[in-house]
Amino acid sequence: MTVAEVVKEIEKDTVFYDESGGGATFSGGEPLMQQDFLQNLLKLSKENEIHTAIETCGLTGSKTLLRISAYVDLFLYDLKIIDNAKHEKFTGASNRAILKNLRELSRHHDHIIIRFPLIPGINDNEENILQTGELISSLRNVEEIDILPYHKGGIEKYKRLGRSRKLAEIRPPSSEEVSKIAEKFIRFGLRVKIGG
Amino acid sequence: MNERVARLRQKSLDTKPWISTERAELVTEFYKYTRGLSPPVRRALAFKYLMENKTICINEGELIVGERGPAPKATPTYPELCCHSIQDLDILNDRKNVSFAVSDQVREVYKEKIIPFWQGQSMRDIIFQEMSEEWRAAYDAGIFTEFMEQRAPGHTVLDDKIFRKGFLDFKVDIEKSLQTLDYFNDPEAHNKHEELKAMSICVDAIIRFAERHAEKAREMARSETDPQRKKELEKIVGVCSHVPKHAPRDLWEALQAYWFVHLGVITELNTWDSFCPGHLDQHLYPFYRKGLEDGTLTSEQAKELLQCFWVKFSNHPAPPKVGVTAAESGTYNDFSNINLGGLRPDGSDGANEVTYLILDVIDEMRLPQPSSNIQLSKKSSDRFLKRACEIIRKGWGQPSIFNADLVVEELLRQGKSVEDARTGGTSGCVETGSFGKEAYILTGYFNLPKVLEITLNNGVDPRTGKKIGLETGDPAQFKSFEELFDAFKKQLKHFVDIKIKGNNIIERLYATYMPAPFLSILIEDCIKRGKDYNDGGPRYNSTYIMGVGLGTLTDSLAAVKYHVFDKKNLTMEELLQALKDNFEGHEKTRLMLWNKTPKYGNDDDYADRLLKASFDAFYDEINGRKNTKGGFYRVNYLSTTCHIYFGSVVQATPDGRRASEPLSEGISPVQGSDQHGPTSAIKSAAKMDHVLTGGTLLNMKFTPMLLEGDEGIDNLVHLVRSYFRLDGHHIQFNVVTAETLRAAQAIPEKYRDLIVRVAGYSDYFCDLSKALQDEIISRTEHKSF
Repeated sequence: MTVAEVVKEIEKDTVFYDESGGGATFSGGEPLMQQDFLQNLLKLSKENEIHTAIETCGLTGSKTLLRISAYVDLFLYDLKIIDNAKHEKFTGASNRAILKNLRELSRHHDHIIIRFPLIPGINDNEENILQTGELISSLRNVEEIDILPYHKGGIEKYKRLGRSRKLAEIRPPSSEEVSKIAEKFIRFGLRVKIGG
Repeated sequence: MNERVARLRQKSLDTKPWISTERAELVTEFYKYTRGLSPPVRRALAFKYLMENKTICINEGELIVGERGPAPKATPTYPELCCHSIQDLDILNDRKNVSFAVSDQVREVYKEKIIPFWQGQSMRDIIFQEMSEEWRAAYDAGIFTEFMEQRAPGHTVLDDKIFRKGFLDFKVDIEKSLQTLDYFNDPEAHNKHEELKAMSICVDAIIRFAERHAEKAREMARSETDPQRKKELEKIVGVCSHVPKHAPRDLWEALQAYWFVHLGVITELNTWDSFCPGHLDQHLYPFYRKGLEDGTLTSEQAKELLQCFWVKFSNHPAPPKVGVTAAESGTYNDFSNINLGGLRPDGSDGANEVTYLILDVIDEMRLPQPSSNIQLSKKSSDRFLKRACEIIRKGWGQPSIFNADLVVEELLRQGKSVEDARTGGTSGCVETGSFGKEAYILTGYFNLPKVLEITLNNGVDPRTGKKIGLETGDPAQFKSFEELFDAFKKQLKHFVDIKIKGNNIIERLYATYMPAPFLSILIEDCIKRGKDYNDGGPRYNSTYIMGVGLGTLTDSLAAVKYHVFDKKNLTMEELLQALKDNFEGHEKTRLMLWNKTPKYGNDDDYADRLLKASFDAFYDEINGRKNTKGGFYRVNYLSTTCHIYFGSVVQATPDGRRASEPLSEGISPVQGSDQHGPTSAIKSAAKMDHVLTGGTLLNMKFTPMLLEGDEGIDNLVHLVRSYFRLDGHHIQFNVVTAETLRAAQAIPEKYRDLIVRVAGYSDYFCDLSKALQDEIISRTEHKSF
C-alpha cells in the first residue's frame, strides 16, 4: 500500500472523527520501525486535518522522535519499568534511551499520555510505582497515565501462532489491586485512567 | 417499581394467551340479524353491539382499566376478516412457539356457530377468490406476501387530538360535516352521509363502553372492603364517566382516554400494528405539569400510572394468524411503538420531563410490549441519548433509535406540510408516518433475492420447476453484468406489477366491504371529507411494499459480477450448476464466493455500488405509482421475521448462502459478512438514500463488554450520531454474546426472561423459532468500534 492509499482508508472514517473528536492512531508492533513511511503518513494525515496519535515504546533515536513529533498530535508513550536492570531482564532492552527520549519529548511536545501495562509480580511493586509516579510528575506536558491491566486475551492467539508464552501463568490483577495502584498515581497529581 | 406494579406486571407475564370466542360470537350474532344496511353503518352498529355487550373486566389492583377480551390475554378472533378452521385452532394450541390455549368449548363454538356462518365469506376468502392466477403463483412461490389476507389495514398512529378533545366534540365535528353535504352537486353525498352516520354511532359506542366500566367500578367499590382500593375504584368511576366522552383533565384521565380509544381501534378490526399513542411524552406533558403545579400529582404517582398503562399493552397479544403469515411475524408482539423526544410541531426539541420519566418506566418494566423508541434530532441533547443508551446497554433491545430530522425530511419529500411532518414519527418496526393524519399501509414483503433467482433461471422457479416469471434470456449467454442486471429489472417490474394489481383490488375490497368508522374519527380528514379510513379519508394515503433481502441480493450480484464477469474465476454455467447442487461437491467454489467476494457492510464501494443499484431499481419500480385512494406507492426496508420464511423458499444464492437459509434482515449486511467493524457497516448502510424510503431497519449486535463504562456509552453515542449525520434512518442494538444465546437454546428454562431484539421489536428469545434463534446468533458480533 502507498501512503496515499492508507490515508484514503483513514479518511473513510472522517465522519466518526468529526463526531467523536477522534482521529488516526498509528501503533504496531512499533510504528517507529518504519519511520520514513510513518513520517510521510503522518504528514499527509495532518495536511488532511486528521488528528494523529502514535503509540510507541520510545526506543529510537531522539532526533527521529523529535522530527516526527511535528506531525503528531498525541503521543501514547509506553513506560514499563523504571529500574534499568529489571527493564533489561523483562524486555531484553535497556530503558536508558526510552527515559531520555521521554524527557526530551516532554520539553518539545504538548500532548503525551503515558501507557503503563500493569503486570503483577513484574512491575506492580511499590518501588516501581513510586519511581514511575515521580518521573511522570516531574515532566512538563504529560497529562495522563493509562493503566493497562494485564489480561489473558492473547493466550489463544499465541497458541494459534505456535509461540510459547512465558507469562501465561501470571494472573490478571484484581480490580481492587488496580484501584490501589491508581490511587498511588493520583497522589502524584496525575490524571489516571484505567484501560484506554 | 412499587408492589402494585410488580404484581400487575408479574401477573401479565405469567398469564398464558388463550383464544376467546366472545367477539366472534357477538359479531356473528349481529351479522345474522342485520341486512340492508350500508357497509359503514353495519360496521358501526357491529362495533356498537360489541361495545355494549362484551364482558367488562377490571382487574385486581389496576388503575388503568379495560381489556379487549373478557380477561387479560384473552385473545379475540375476527372471523369476518379471517375465519380460523378447527385445524388452525389446533395448530394455535399445539405449536411450540407463540401458542394460544384453545379450549374444547372454543372448538365447539367454532364448529357450531362461527365456521358455518363465515366459511367462504370472510375477507380472506374474498381476497383469494379475486386474485389472478399469476398473483397466486407468485404468492405461492414466496415472491411476496399479502398483509391484508388476515388482518385489516391499520398502520397508523394517533396525534394529540384525543388529549385535547372529547368524543362529544368529535360528534359536533361530524354533525357539522353532515350539514355541509351537498346532495345537489356531490354524487357521493349519500355515501358520505352513511360514513358520517357510522362515525356518529361509533362515538356513542365508545362512550357507552367507558360508562360500562364506570358502572362496573361503582359496583365493585360498593362491595370493596379495603378502604384504599375502594377509593381507587371510586376514582376509576369518575375517570370512566368523564373520558373519552370529554377531554381529559389530568394525567390519569389522559392515559385512560387513550386506552379506551386503543381498545376501540383493536376491537373494531384487527388492524396491523394494533394502535399507538405516538409522541406520548409530548401528549402527557401538559397534564403532568399541571398536576405537579396544582399539587394533585407527584412524579411517583405519574410513574405508577404510566407503569399500569404499560401493563395494559402487555396484556394484549397480537391476534393469532395462520399459515404463512404466522411465520412472517411469529410473535405475540403487536407493534405499538411509543415515540419519545423528536420535534414539536414548531420545530423545537420535543423532549421534556415526561420523556425521562417514561425512559425510567421502560427501564424498570422491561416488557417487550409496548415497544419504544427515541426520536433523535440534531436538537436532542446528549443527555437524552445517553439515558437511552444506558437502557440499550442492558441488552433487551429497547429503545430503538430514529433520526428525527430524516423522518421529517422523508415526510416532506412525500409532500406533507412541515407541521404534519414534525407531528409524524415512526411506528410498527421503523415505518414513517404523519401521526393522526395518514394511512400508511404496509401491504406485503417482497423477496428481492428470489427475483434474482428467477432471473438466473430464465423465468423458472427452480424450487418447483414452474415458470412464473418472464423469459429474460439464458444467463449463460449474457455478455456482461449489465445484461444480467437489466434482466433482473425486467423480472422485478413483472412481479411488482402483479403485486400492485392485487393490492389495488384488495384496497377496493376493504374500502367497499370493511370500512373502519371508529378509526376514521381519529384520523384527519376523514370527518371533514366524509370518507372512511380505508377509502382515502385520511389527509395522506400511502401504500408500502417492503423490500427484503437487500444484503443477500447485493452480495449475490457482487459475487456474479466479480467472479464471473470481472475475474472470470468461474463461468456462469459453473455457478448455476453449483447453485443447482446447493454447493454439494462445490465447497471450494462456495468458500470462494463466501469469503473472496467484496461484500456489503464493509465500506467497500465495489459491493456498495451494487447495493445502491439494487435499492434504486426497487425504488424506481414502485415509488410514485398511484394507489386507489388518491395516494402513492412508497418503499421501505424491513423484514420483521419474513427473511426466515423468504429464505426457506430460495435455493442456494451466488453469495455462498445455502438453500433455505435465512436471507439478510432489514438493511443489515448478510449475517457474519460485515467484518470491518461497526463504523464500516454504518458507512455502507448510509450509501443508500434513506430519505427516499418510509423506513429502513439496521440491526447491530455488540458484545456487552464493548459498552462497559462511561466510555462505552460515549462510543455508542458517537456511533449513532455519526450514522445520523450520514442520514441513516434507524439503528437498533442487541447487546448479548452468542455464547449466552447458545446457552439459552440449550437450556431454555434457565433463560425464560432473556429478551432480544428481533426485527423492529423485542421478544423473548425462547419464544422464537429455532431458525430465527440461529439467525440472530449468526449476526456479526462487534467486539470493537
